[in-house]
Amino acid sequence: MFNLVIGQYVPSDSYVHRLDPRSKLIGVFLFVVIVFLADNWLTNGLMVLFCFTGILLSRMRFSFIYKGLRSVFIIVFITFLLNLFLASGGDTLFQWGWLRVTSGGLMQSIFISIRILVIIVVTTLLTLTTSPIEITDGMESLLNPLKKVRLPVHEFALMMSISLRFIPTLLEETEKIIKAQAARGSDFTTGSLKSRIKALVPLLVPLFVGAFKRAEDLAMAMEARGYHGDAGRTKLHQLNWSWRDTMLLTAILLLTVLLILTRN
Amino acid sequence: MDITFEHVTHIYGQKTPFEKLALDDVSLHIPSGSFTSVIGHTGSGKSTLVQHINGLLKPSKGKITAGDVVIRANEKKQSLKKLREKVGFVFQYPEHQLFEESIIKDVCFGPMNFGVSDSEATKRAEESLNLVGIPASYWHRSPFDLSGGQMRRVAIAGVLAARPQAIILDEPTAGLDPKGRQEMLDLFAELHKRLSMTVIMVTHNMSDAAIYSDQVIVMNDGKPLMIGPPEHVFLQTEQLRRVGLESPETMLFLDKVMAKARKKERIPAFTIDQTADVVIQILNGVKNHV
Ligand SMILES: Nc1ncnc2c1ncn2[C@@H]1O[C@H](COP(=O)(O)OP(=O)(O)OP(=O)(O)O)[C@@H](O)[C@H]1O
Ligand SMILES: [Mg+2]
Repeated sequence: MFNLVIGQYVPSDSYVHRLDPRSKLIGVFLFVVIVFLADNWLTNGLMVLFCFTGILLSRMRFSFIYKGLRSVFIIVFITFLLNLFLASGGDTLFQWGWLRVTSGGLMQSIFISIRILVIIVVTTLLTLTTSPIEITDGMESLLNPLKKVRLPVHEFALMMSISLRFIPTLLEETEKIIKAQAARGSDFTTGSLKSRIKALVPLLVPLFVGAFKRAEDLAMAMEARGYHGDAGRTKLHQLNWSWRDTMLLTAILLLTVLLILTRN
Repeated sequence: MDITFEHVTHIYGQKTPFEKLALDDVSLHIPSGSFTSVIGHTGSGKSTLVQHINGLLKPSKGKITAGDVVIRANEKKQSLKKLREKVGFVFQYPEHQLFEESIIKDVCFGPMNFGVSDSEATKRAEESLNLVGIPASYWHRSPFDLSGGQMRRVAIAGVLAARPQAIILDEPTAGLDPKGRQEMLDLFAELHKRLSMTVIMVTHNMSDAAIYSDQVIVMNDGKPLMIGPPEHVFLQTEQLRRVGLESPETMLFLDKVMAKARKKERIPAFTIDQTADVVIQILNGVKNHV
């Protein structure tokens, strides 16, 4: 029932999986920034090419990624239409009442759609190939300098990894409670809005009760095993930066230079 | 209520990398009024199997008939609700599904969903609470103030209050102490005998499966490996071992006694009394030989 592809991790042993999470995070960040440099067919083509290379290297099936993207197509489509009718410039392709489509508008809406799609594909690729734990470890390490100004980076990362860790558990729990109440005849999917909202009570109360209990248990278990915050704590998974990571960032740098040279 | 599976296949997460074949072309029959146990190794598909019986899961292929309701791959919601009224389902740790402010309200939740009037629902709730042994002085308290075992009874009363013809129990005794376990099992045995309910119980305890059931279904890797009366199933020690299961302890004990007495035959005995009788027979037999 919860088959969203975005945000899901698919373990495997591809080139992209083995990259250091830090290089992937920096890479995705840079990529999302430089996407905005692309303003003609060539530069947009380069972005798409980069995405395809990423997918190929991650050995993820295209059909799987396509399936996950289906739900965002509607958003992309609406943006496309809005831009198509609102943006202007170039020759008029056709006119129908006050609706006017121009060649410039058409190009711009295609570019914007490509931009949204490549951003989504790249971030999806990040979460598909990097476990939540790796992502938080990477973030903590990248944000480390901020500890100097007393920002609770470690606590923040811990909170994040705990939340991420419990998302599947909560989903499982939700599914179980939905099933248990459905077996008692409650129905979350039909009826008026009011009755549907009322039907949420038997789901939310047990979910919260369970979550609080779990949080208490976890806190107790952590304390019992001597958790005392950041100071003096070592890491189970050491991050290590390899030549591959340097390659990724070099590739993105090259891409940036190419974009700057070839854009209008 | 007769329950029949015909070539039922269930695939979780179809067409994703997480695809998992959990039931593989299962055909079986559960006669009306029987007590059926489902045993099998972890992940063998027991829960998946029983969740099909009241339409919580729909088959990917094949068809299930429960009483006069038929469930196929693209079944409509309405027929599922009708089915859920007739088949109760007690999940593992059912106490996690309590949510109302008072016990009696929580137990009324099921019957009210199935369109029973307020007064009738209350009547049924009181009946079910009596059946599971929750004293009337508790009925207007919050269910969250009860002990784990009592919460479970309330949750079970909540399922019984809909007056199902069949009840499915998925590891109903997990996490209870020995006394609580025994009481829970006695309750189910009584429901089976007195109300002639069809009972389907998933369990990891071989002795429970052996003592209480008329029919045992052994699941392995999404397929039923054996289906038959416990006296038959639990004699197949070798086959059971191969799929990671043991015979009930009484049988293991008797095997040792038999080995000491240098006898080969195996007599099924599951309760302490039966076992004692068999031991006496063996001892007498040995004496007669000497
Ligand atoms: N919601 C789900 N999504 C994907 N796979 C699932 C889901 N539920 C169960 N499975 C898989 O289906 C298989 C059968 O699971 P099932 O829960 O039926 O096993 P079980 O026999 O009840 O095990 P246990 O004794 O541990 O309760 C398992 O391999 C499990 O990983
Ligand atoms: Mg199970």
